Parts: sequence; C-alpha cells; structure tokens
Amino acid sequence: MTLLEVDNVSHWYGTKAQRPVLDHVNLSLGTGETVALVGESGCGKSTLGRLVAGLTTSTLGTIRHDGREVARLSRAEHKIWRRSVQLIHQDPFGALNPGVRIGSTLGTALRYHKLVDRAHLEQELLGLLGQVGLEATRDFLHRYPHELSGGQRQRVCIARAVSLRPKLVVADEVTSMLDVSMRVSVLDLLRSFQVQRSIAFLFISHDLGVVRYFAAGGRVVVMFYGVIVEEGPTEEVIFHPRHPYTALLLESIPIPDPTLARREHGSVDTVPDAGPSPQGCVFSNRCRFAVDRCRTTTPKLEDDGHGHRAACFFIERVVRETTTSAVTDRAPDLDSGATCDPSTAGTQA
Amino acid sequence: MSAPAPGIARASPLLTFRELTVTFGHGERSVRPVDGVSFELEPGDRLAVVGESGCGKSTLAAAILDVIPSPGRVTGGEVSIDGQPVSTLDRDELEHVRAATVAMVFQSAMNAFNPVLTIGTQVEHILRAHPGVFASQAEGRKHFEYLLELVRLDPARVVRSYESELSGGMKQRVAIAVAVLLSPKLVVLDEPTTALDVWNQRVVISILHELHRTLGIAIMLVTHDLAVVAEVATKVAVMYAGRLVEYGGVDEIFHGQRRHPYVAALIGAIPSVLKGGLTVRPIPGQVPSLAELAPGCRFAPRCQRAVTICHQQEPALLADGGDHLVACHVVNAGELVTGV
Repeated sequence: MTLLEVDNVSHWYGTKAQRPVLDHVNLSLGTGETVALVGESGCGKSTLGRLVAGLTTSTLGTIRHDGREVARLSRAEHKIWRRSVQLIHQDPFGALNPGVRIGSTLGTALRYHKLVDRAHLEQELLGLLGQVGLEATRDFLHRYPHELSGGQRQRVCIARAVSLRPKLVVADEVTSMLDVSMRVSVLDLLRSFQVQRSIAFLFISHDLGVVRYFAAGGRVVVMFYGVIVEEGPTEEVIFHPRHPYTALLLESIPIPDPTLARREHGSVDTVPDAGPSPQGCVFSNRCRFAVDRCRTTTPKLEDDGHGHRAACFFIERVVRETTTSAVTDRAPDLDSGATCDPSTAGTQA
Repeated sequence: MSAPAPGIARASPLLTFRELTVTFGHGERSVRPVDGVSFELEPGDRLAVVGESGCGKSTLAAAILDVIPSPGRVTGGEVSIDGQPVSTLDRDELEHVRAATVAMVFQSAMNAFNPVLTIGTQVEHILRAHPGVFASQAEGRKHFEYLLELVRLDPARVVRSYESELSGGMKQRVAIAVAVLLSPKLVVLDEPTTALDVWNQRVVISILHELHRTLGIAIMLVTHDLAVVAEVATKVAVMYAGRLVEYGGVDEIFHGQRRHPYVAALIGAIPSVLKGGLTVRPIPGQVPSLAELAPGCRFAPRCQRAVTICHQQEPALLADGGDHLVACHVVNAGELVTGV
C-alpha cells in the first residue's frame, strides 16, 4: 500500500524566480520503505521534505497520504495525519527549545495527541529515553538542551519524532552535524525503528556513503535543481549509475583512503561548476556528454524495466564510460575478497 | 620515512608548536582544550589536524595568530612562526605576520563578509590596509581577480556581488581567495568543507591542491572529516581531548601497521561507497568532558584494546625510529593495531 504519493509537485519561492525549486516531482513511498533523497545544496531536497512533512504547501500538484489528499483533510483528520508524519532536522542545536527541559520537550506532543495519560507520562518518557539509548533517569528529563552533546540532542529529537508512533519520518541530513564516531550509531538507531515499527523514511542527505548505509535495500532518488534525474534501488544507483550527474556525484565524494584519493584526483577537476540549464536537460551545463539536443529537449525519466529510471539521452554511454572511472575504482572488487580498503580490512575479517 | 627523527634539526620549520597548552578558566574549574601539543609544519607542507568536536583543534589553530577567544589563554609552551615565538611579537609585528606569513580562514568563513559592502570594496579595504604588498591598488585588484579564477569563480561577477548574492560554496571559495591575496606562506583553514555538499567539497579540495601547486602555499587543514584529510593532506596530526595522540604521514595514518586505536576506530566508523563501506562500527561512548578527565589515557574508556596501565598512566608520544608518533601503551609495547 502506498503511504505517500507526491504527484507532479512544483514549487516556487517568491514570484520573481524563474526556476521552480521543485519541477514536476513525482515520488511514492510504501509502508516501512526507505527512500533516500540525494543532491547538492539548493537542489530542492529539503523543500520536498518540508512539503511532505506539511510545513509548506506546494504551489502546484498534490501530496497524498494513505490515498487521501493532505490539503483536503478535515480538521480532525489533519490532526491524525500531523501525528503520523514526523520531521527530524539537520541541526540538533536549533531543533530543541533551549529554555525547555528535555522532559517537557518530549512530553508536550505526547499529551497533545493524548497518547498517554498524565499518571503514566513519566514512565513513558523514561521508556522512550531508554529506547533511543539515552540515560533513562528523572535527572535526564530535567536537563536543558545545552547540557547535552550533539549526539545526545539528536537522540532526543529522534525520541520526540518516534514517540508519536509515526508512519513516516522525514530525516533531513540528520547526521551531517554529528561527529564521525557518533554517526553510525544514530543511523543504526533510526534503522532499528524502521525495522521494528515499519516506519517509512524519507532520508535526505548529500552523503552517498551514509545513504548507502542507511538506505541499503531501499531506493535512492537523485535530484538536480528541482528535477529528479535518476531513481532506483540503492545499490543499483550507487554501483551502476545511469545518469551523468549521479556518476559525477559518486566521483566527487572524498574518499577516506589516501592511495585511492591520489589515483582519483583530477578526474572531476575539469568539470565546470555550472548551475542548471534554463532550457532542455537541467544538467546540460555541467554534463560532459551534453550535445545540442540536450540543450533544447528535456529528456524524460526512462525505466530500465527493473525500477531503475534515469532522465538522459545517453544512458548507454554513461553506463559504459563511467563504470570504469566512477564505480570500478571506487568500489574495487566489490564481490571478490581482495583488500583495497585497509580502513575496514580489520573489521571485515 | 625520509624525514629525520624528531629532535634533529631540519630545514627551518614554518610553524612550530612546542608543548603548547591553552587554558580556559581558573583554578579547579579550568580546562585545557590544548594540552602540551608539539609538532612542526615545514614550508609547502599540507598538514591536517584531525579530531572530533571538543578535541581542541580549533583552539590550536586560533593560537597561531594569537586569536584564542577569551577567557582562553596560552599557559604553557609556545607557537613559533618562522622561528619567532608569537608571544614575543608586538602588535605591529603580529599584524605583519597575520598579513604576510599566515592567513586564516575561520570556520564561519561563510559569515565573514560585510553584508552591506560588495566583495570588491572589501578587498579594496584589505589592499589599502597593506599598501606595501602590491605596486599599486590596480595590481592588487588584478591579482585578486586571478585568484578568483583560480578558485573557479567569475571575477567580474564576484567583485560586484554582495555576500547575500553568493551561495555557501561560493562564499567559502571567495574567503579562500581573500586569505591568499597577500601571498602568505601558510593558510590555515578551519573546517573548510564541513557545511558544504559533496560537489562543493570536491571543488574546494581541488582548489586547495591548485593553490598548493601554483602558489606553493603551505596548508594547515583543521577538520573532523577523515575523507577530506586523505584527499588533501600529506601529514596528519590527530587530537583527542586536548592531546596529540598520533602524528605522521598520511599513508601511515591510514594504512600503517602502527596506528592509534582511536584513529583506526575513527576510520572504521565512516560509512562509504567503497568496498567494506557497510562494515562500519561506531565508537562506543563519547568524547570525555575536559573538566572530568580520568587518569590514564584519555581514550581508554572508549578503547577496545585498553589494558590496566591505560587507565592508570597517560601514554607518551613515541616514535618508531621514523617520524611517526603514537601515544598508546598497547601500540608502543609492540602490538599491532590494524583495525579496531
């Protein structure tokens, strides 16, 4: 059953801007499914997250939740919908009211939605802290956000989101402001909720390494300036990109391995740092494959028959010519046992 | 390694930290975000200082130009630039060093511009404040335009722009161009890629290589991102809770046999698109509060290899005969840490 349907949504900020922030975006998400939204800053991925979470209403197009159009819900229905879609922000420092204790931050929404009566509130909150790996004590509930580390704050934000038993969580760059040593545990925590409670995730990130980890088995949607240019199963998109932009993003990722990094240098240095093209394919200004046709005609998303879709006239060439540079080198011997990445060699044994 | 062992005099270092200690607060409540850190940077080096939040890396960088935010102050050791201790410089000399020798791009570089003046006007102000550097204002402006091209921006557009008209990635690049305007010998960049997306990170990385190649500038990169370190640096200094825990060439740090367990764990905690990029493991626990440090190695409470002595005595930073220093009892006792 489709939980979320984004149907032909376009969105503009202000009236003077010629380019929409989102340009005819279609997206659907099933119950318990994970979809990762990938793209550079300004590509509209956060805007889409805000639309899905109901913080903004789209200029054009409709968003349906459980088959019902969100904009037409009655007041009572809206309140239920509001609870079933939750948002976790990028910045755990800005997402918690500095003047409110953790207990109140977590308790307010629970009480508002009447999910727990007053007598059982504290017990529920302590249970919640335990579930997100925080110290389940009364003392913790009485703390203020400034007394917590970044990782702890993000866990509080996660607790607040999952406490309302949502069906869908929009996670907007949730690990980008956390320390490296904390990231994986926060991702693991989110995954555990996804598995145990079949919560669907719209996971917004520009970090394809994190996306590969979190959305393993799910889907990836790649956006460039408001346009979806590629979407498909996570592993397919990352290891067999069909759109030149996805290939470029993969080649751009800084690699935590100096030997590989040296070998890779320069492969993308010649690509112009260009914005969207006003006409034709949105990516044509930055694309190494672009020809005249790309600047006049807009390619449509084409399915390869297995749910992997890309909007490009030269999918075949992209697959042929980037497999070597972007994928083989980047993911050496994916299936064989050869050790190319010593950083993880020890953990694999 | 070709570099001589520590202690042996080498071609005069550009920057020297000698037992540098920075203290915030007084008496019992004082903390030391930088605690007895020593290492050197030679002309033309690309060095990265790596660590998680609160490890003291930004404070270390601020100490170079004597801009540690109050109430922090240097309470031990010293920083020397070109052999001259920073503490002995008077105001004019310090100004000169800040202009001609070491430039700094702060973490908040994106907010470093005056919002009501164009970039061009702000650069004019810099050129007027340092009249000796270029033969004329016009020449200085020309050099800035050349630098803008080097950071892959359109000079004609940028000099006319206000800060609000530039994207985050563009502002970061303009900040880098401004930093190298007066041809410093060293540019210190504090988290230059942190707030940027993958594409802009890539552009900044290739710009740093370009600056190093064409202008011969030494780079000191302060970051928590090990992938950026692997891409940019040739030497790496790893800090943990105020201490230098490992120092060495980038290959030794990432591939060496003798690695600090913290560094190995940190590298093993990065999800990546590489092979093995899914077998990541978080580091248990969290960075200790500097106000409540337990005796012994500061990483011991989170370390999977810790033995009794690690909880009792702080390990010394020891070399292996080369230039690679590690502060770990287990490693220095001869046991190998390949992956933790």
